[in-house]
Amino acid sequence: MSPTTIFIIVILLSVSSYWFATRKAKAVSGGDTRKLHSRLPYYGYMTALWAGLPALLVLLAWVSFQGTIVANLVMSDLPPELASLSAERQSLILNDIQNIAKGGQASNVDDVLQAMADHYNHLLSISHAASLVVVLAVLIIGAIFALKSIKPEMRARKRVESIIKYLLIFSSTIAIFTTVGIVLSVLFESLRFFEKVPATDFFFGLEWSPQMAIRADQVGSSGSFGMIPVFAGTMLVSLIAMLVAVPIGLFSAIYLSEYAGKTFRTFAKPLLEVLAGVPTVVYGFFAALAVAPFIRDSGSLLGLSVSSESALAAGLVMGIMIIPFVSSLSDDVINAVPQSLRDGAYGLGSTQSETIRQVILPAALPGIVGGVLLAVSRAIGETMIVVMAAGLSANLTANPLDAVTTVTVQIVTLLVGDQEFDSAKTLAAFALGLTLFVVTLALNVLALHIVRKYREQYD
Amino acid sequence: MDKPIMMNEKVNFALTMGMTDTDDIREETDTTEIKQMATVGSPLLSEKKSRMTCRNVDVFYGDKQAINNVSLDVGKNEVLAMIGPSGCGKSTFLRCLNRMNDTIDICRVEGSIKLDGQDIYDKSLDVVPLRARVGMVFQKPNPFPKSIYDNVAYGPRIHGLVSNKAETDAVVEESLKSAGLWEEVKDRLDAPGTGLSGGQQQRLCIARAIAVKPEVILMDEPCSALDPIATAKIEELIDELRAEFTIAIVTHSMQQAARVSQRTAYFHLGDLVEVDKTDKIFTSPSHQLTEDYITGRFG
Amino acid sequence: MTNKKQALAIAQVVEKGLAKRKARERRFRLAGLSAIIVSLIMLVVLLSSIVLTGLPAFTQTAVKLDFTYDQDLLPSAESLNDEVIMAMDFHGLVKKTLREKFPEVSSRKDKKQLYSMISSGTPYDLRDALMADHELLGQTVSLWVLADDEVDSFFKGSKTVTDTKLSEKQISWIETLKAEERIRTQFNWTFFENGDSREPELSGIRGAMMGSLFVVLVTLLLSFPIGVAAAIYLEEFATQNRWNDLIEININNLAAVPSIVFGLLGLAIYINLMGMPRSAPLVAGLVLTLMTLPTIIIASRAALKSVPPSLREAALGLGASKTQMIFHHVLPQAMPGMLTGSIIGMAQALGETAPLLMIGMVAFIVDIPSGFLDPATVLPVQIYLWADSPETAFLERTAAAIMVLLVFLIMMNLLAIWLRKKFEKRW
Repeated sequence: MSPTTIFIIVILLSVSSYWFATRKAKAVSGGDTRKLHSRLPYYGYMTALWAGLPALLVLLAWVSFQGTIVANLVMSDLPPELASLSAERQSLILNDIQNIAKGGQASNVDDVLQAMADHYNHLLSISHAASLVVVLAVLIIGAIFALKSIKPEMRARKRVESIIKYLLIFSSTIAIFTTVGIVLSVLFESLRFFEKVPATDFFFGLEWSPQMAIRADQVGSSGSFGMIPVFAGTMLVSLIAMLVAVPIGLFSAIYLSEYAGKTFRTFAKPLLEVLAGVPTVVYGFFAALAVAPFIRDSGSLLGLSVSSESALAAGLVMGIMIIPFVSSLSDDVINAVPQSLRDGAYGLGSTQSETIRQVILPAALPGIVGGVLLAVSRAIGETMIVVMAAGLSANLTANPLDAVTTVTVQIVTLLVGDQEFDSAKTLAAFALGLTLFVVTLALNVLALHIVRKYREQYD
Repeated sequence: MDKPIMMNEKVNFALTMGMTDTDDIREETDTTEIKQMATVGSPLLSEKKSRMTCRNVDVFYGDKQAINNVSLDVGKNEVLAMIGPSGCGKSTFLRCLNRMNDTIDICRVEGSIKLDGQDIYDKSLDVVPLRARVGMVFQKPNPFPKSIYDNVAYGPRIHGLVSNKAETDAVVEESLKSAGLWEEVKDRLDAPGTGLSGGQQQRLCIARAIAVKPEVILMDEPCSALDPIATAKIEELIDELRAEFTIAIVTHSMQQAARVSQRTAYFHLGDLVEVDKTDKIFTSPSHQLTEDYITGRFG
Repeated sequence: MTNKKQALAIAQVVEKGLAKRKARERRFRLAGLSAIIVSLIMLVVLLSSIVLTGLPAFTQTAVKLDFTYDQDLLPSAESLNDEVIMAMDFHGLVKKTLREKFPEVSSRKDKKQLYSMISSGTPYDLRDALMADHELLGQTVSLWVLADDEVDSFFKGSKTVTDTKLSEKQISWIETLKAEERIRTQFNWTFFENGDSREPELSGIRGAMMGSLFVVLVTLLLSFPIGVAAAIYLEEFATQNRWNDLIEININNLAAVPSIVFGLLGLAIYINLMGMPRSAPLVAGLVLTLMTLPTIIIASRAALKSVPPSLREAALGLGASKTQMIFHHVLPQAMPGMLTGSIIGMAQALGETAPLLMIGMVAFIVDIPSGFLDPATVLPVQIYLWADSPETAFLERTAAAIMVLLVFLIMMNLLAIWLRKKFEKRW
């Protein structure tokens, strides 16, 4: 009895409770449905919701957590020789058990593991059966409760509408849950990381080479987790990107909003937006395929030693991707400057460039700065371009021709490998993620603050 | 009083109607063919006395004609008021005088408009120096989001009229004094111009306009966004400025026109109906439409 | 007094400065125009380099060989069924056929080279052909089979004589086949029919496309209702209080959080806490739902705002309740705008890579996924994985996969634009 089947059963039963409810409503009204407070279907909806919603919620919660609970139960039953292994080994064993249980392959199938896998499946089927019972119970109780309350004066429509309203409210709070979820999960894992590696080492360390021993007895298991070179790499690449994107984006916005004719604008603006719609993996491919070799070859022509994973290549392509951000936001802000200011400047005999440079841009400056900050935030959080075009070695350098690594690249490298979940190596990724989240959040808040604080100037 | 040398009977008729000016009126009316002119009164002045001359001006917005065949002179050191019901084209006409209508794509201006004898719509003429010579004050005060000092200094700076701080200080002080704002702001010149009250902002805009020492100042309903006290101050100011500048002011308030101007032009649906000395217009207008407007029958 | 002399002096000063100002004006304007042109050139360079690299991938090289389904392939005189067929030695059949074609090849080294010219998937094709038609046993059939990727690259011209890894002998065999018209290029249907593979000539994007389809489906089914519901609440019901301000702030912030952080969230909660299977489209959809929710909420709110108050008042005036007004009148009017926003959100989700890497979609998955819980990959991740491979053939296929992805994105955006134009109501 899989969860999907239970889900279908719940839906079917809810629908049939609708039918029961409408029958009862007709009955209590003595055949004349106009006597009822609400129109007939609402009694049905109400009952179906009272039956189905709680049942579905219970089912959802059950299914979400049964996997972990069953796994924990199985692991607590391990024979002593397996139970004494390290945490990393145990989770590998759990993986094996789960694979065997699903009927797949595992690295070494022995009787012990087979028995555990059977145990796992057994517990799982118990859980499924139990969930069916509980869910059905909830559904039936809900349905009966609703049916009993059907009377002519019962305000079914109002009840349905308030249920709907609560559903709407719940949907809105998902945004909050997401933020809370992000903060908690990243924070929690980061704290586990800081138990293994002191926070001061992480935030102020100058060396990043995240090696961890595979086995506890391995010599030379030291790894340094100082994130400064990694963060410096992010800053270097982002700086290059902004040096490309801000002038080009700003001037594009100026030309489009002040100089361009209508036809030019209708063609050029969407084309610029296309740059924003290209997936970042495509940019990454382009950077690795065309840009990096080009820079490296030009560099050697000029006698410079350029790494084939230079920060310059990644930064350049990232800059191209960010151009439409800067351009679009600046365009909006420039257009928002009231025409009266332009008239005032033209009336005094300014040329167009003087008006733009001395009147419009200063007026639009808060918005432009806000837009640039948001673009920086975007650059810092960008992953695929740097993963494909930048390097893996943490290098504390300001030379754009060197290879550097960034925060996002490290997160990917640390988590995409074969490491188990508890080692400091993988937890370090969460610490990096925490840093990233906080920095981008701070930039966004700052951007918003600047725009709000300085906006009132010409109104 | 010499008899004017007439070239055209119709011109003669228009000129003799209500002309009481005692100055030398050895007219040389414009040699351009004056088309059928329905304007009553004295729209044209002698060459010596006019700062700007407009002949047969038509203005179109796309296909729609907004100004029909208007010929009008703006006299030196006079305040010319342009009145008329809403939508009659007076603002449009005013904006032609400094080519502000260039900023509107669909607007087309025909006819001749001359400043001191130079056709301002001439292809070879740059609009930038023109606007240094013909300044404008707008309906809603529009100070730049800069300091008071920078607002006034903006014009002189971009045109290169000042080359160091001392000169700039002098120009700013002079302009603010002429605009009657100096006393109120002299110790907070760095404060933002947008922080002033409405009336002060408008005087700031006037100071800004006169800082480039234009020959003509155009004012487009400068007091319509202000309260009565600020309005009174500005009207006082206009009268003082007349000594130095030529002023053309569009206003929807007849009382204001009566108070500040020497000559008044009445526009109606794109036509220039009557132009004459202000007290004549308001006491004994010649055209029926003018009289209707003045007595409040419409407008 | 602004007398004539003063005015003249001023005019002269202004005239003097004009030339410089005009020059600056020209330069400024030129800077603006160049900026746009540079951006557009970048776009053109990007797209053309991808297209030029990817076009060759749409053709593949095939070789026509005559295969004899010899009776003595059967281990014993049994009747044919799938099990028996599975045990037959088709590898040997391929090798034998090649030897017969080029009987002059004798040394082991040369034979190895000969065998490597045909794709390693050919034996499976022969097996499948026999399974489909048992009559083939004992017959000789001419089949076009796929060439190995080295041969493919060389024959198509992607690799020249200097680049290629083919030996001279192999090149000469290709020439022989060419003279006999037994080698040709054909449209690369394999690209669209197969899943990922270690061999470039056998690899395709079908697995990735199905995976993307499932993921986008899950994302749409979850994010659209939730997003619309949230938008309705925020626009129609919410009052100005701290709780609702908090919700709005959260939505705006989430819109700007880097996508990789959502991947971390998915990893920590869905996979570790709730034990969901890695690389399942369901999990990917859940992660992407959280990511696209802000986009959909913001777009839906704008759509709701644009419905004129007169419509709402008309409904209320007739005695509809607030909920009825919203669901019967406002929502249908706002629907086109909401759909447009959702399509754009889905287009974003389709191109996302980083968060999906976090939840494990980076594994090498050969089978085409058939359900929401099967391990799968998505098109952008497939592109990322192939981009790492050094073979020219994979390079071309990466670019070709990008082209397919871009085509989907263009179609979705065009759909959104068409929807917007069609339903642009003039009130």
